[in-house]
Amino acid sequence: MSTMRWIRSRGVTGLVALSLCVIAPRMLAAQGAAPSKEQADDAAAFKEFSARVQAYLKLQKTVESSLPGLTPTDLPEMIAAHQEALARKIQEARPQAKAGDIFTPAACEAFRHASQAALGGPRSANARAYMQPGAPDPAMPLAVNGIYPDTEPITALPPALLAAFPPLPGEVAYRVVGRMLILIDLKSRLVVDVARLILPPAS
Amino acid sequence: MRHRGVFLVVLLAVVALVLSASGATEFAFPLKTNSVRFAAIGDMGTGKQPQIDVARQMVKSRAIFPFEFVITLGDNLYTGSQPSDFEKDFAVPYKALLDAGVPFYATLGNHDKTNERFYKPFNMNGASYYTYRKGHVRFLALDSNYMDPRQTAWIEAQLREAGNGDWKICYFHHPLYSSATFHGSAEGLRKVLEPLFVKYGVDVVFTGHDHVYERVHPQQGIYYFTEGASGSLRSGNLAPSAITAAGFDTDRSFMMVEITDNDMYFQTISRTGLTVDSGVIHRTIRPAPGGVAHQ
Repeated sequence: MSTMRWIRSRGVTGLVALSLCVIAPRMLAAQGAAPSKEQADDAAAFKEFSARVQAYLKLQKTVESSLPGLTPTDLPEMIAAHQEALARKIQEARPQAKAGDIFTPAACEAFRHASQAALGGPRSANARAYMQPGAPDPAMPLAVNGIYPDTEPITALPPALLAAFPPLPGEVAYRVVGRMLILIDLKSRLVVDVARLILPPAS
Repeated sequence: MRHRGVFLVVLLAVVALVLSASGATEFAFPLKTNSVRFAAIGDMGTGKQPQIDVARQMVKSRAIFPFEFVITLGDNLYTGSQPSDFEKDFAVPYKALLDAGVPFYATLGNHDKTNERFYKPFNMNGASYYTYRKGHVRFLALDSNYMDPRQTAWIEAQLREAGNGDWKICYFHHPLYSSATFHGSAEGLRKVLEPLFVKYGVDVVFTGHDHVYERVHPQQGIYYFTEGASGSLRSGNLAPSAITAAGFDTDRSFMMVEITDNDMYFQTISRTGLTVDSGVIHRTIRPAPGGVAHQ
């Protein structure tokens, strides 16, 4: 059974379980035996992160269900209208949203460790060369529950980094700006959460 | 090369030189019945005059070489995602082609917004990566901004299902091999994709991102083209290296391709209508991953 079919058949629970299946063995395999306390903490933090992502998605889907569905259209106005309406309603539904709601301090630590493992050392040069040229301006205004600026490019994330992070459902994605890790809602372009100083510094 | 057969490239450099010198645009395409004909453009969505010039040249060329559809290699809209951006960067420049019923099959670049996948003229059907078949050619349009394990699993499944009968063409934004100095090769991406491409016999890869044109010598039996200068240009940015088979970085360009049974004819045309590269790639029968030969 393909990964996509497996996820579809198990739904949200399946995605969380898949996340754990992907991340936990990788962390364990690094030392070949019982996980260290740090690895166990990271696995738990990723599990909590995935649960918080699912909670956000539940809210997002509830909000989106109150709007006309977005299907392929010849009219870019329809795409823009859906994006703006969805963003506004999500903003209203989580007015107190702040950094750390989803990237908890423990999750930030886990992401730092995963980033270091994926991009640090000898892998650093190639991975960061892939990300840096034409990268978004690290000084651009970014706020939780704000819109990712329309005119900024995105950073293509190295596959090694994405493989080290908990997988995300298709409605949200990771973005990187400088050393910051961002969780973005793809349809509304809302910044769902930000985590600072996650990626290793450029050597 | 272990997993693949042998390809042969026959360069038509003399013809190109003669045509360039005369300023004429002449095509060496066979225009065979049932062949698959398309154009490729990348990094075009500026809405500025050079993009419009290239689009006009595409229309002019299509009168001689009737390509049926266009693939885009990303950075379709540079300026933003407002309705006016879709108009200025896409609908207006390519109006003549769109009016003629020529479909576009887009991929997303790092300047694109993910919601472009809902723009019907891009034929992405709401997905940031997708596949389709034209004649005997299987196309995989990929999202190289976000090559996560889910997408690589999907790519492998699609390539496995495609078998060895069809041509397999993958296209996306970031080049696995590039001699341009601004971005260069996306080596992290290459580590993930190249083994799959080799294992499942991908024939040709088209990318953009670097704002030049480059054809790379076959790498592990796969042909790579970068066409990232159909609107943007980094003049003089190409530093030809050992992998460079041909290149052009002094003006904008686009590609035209015809695939017959086992041959792929290609021609790269500049904004002013000069042929800057052309040739034919011959595909031979190759063993499938399981060891059974197919054609």
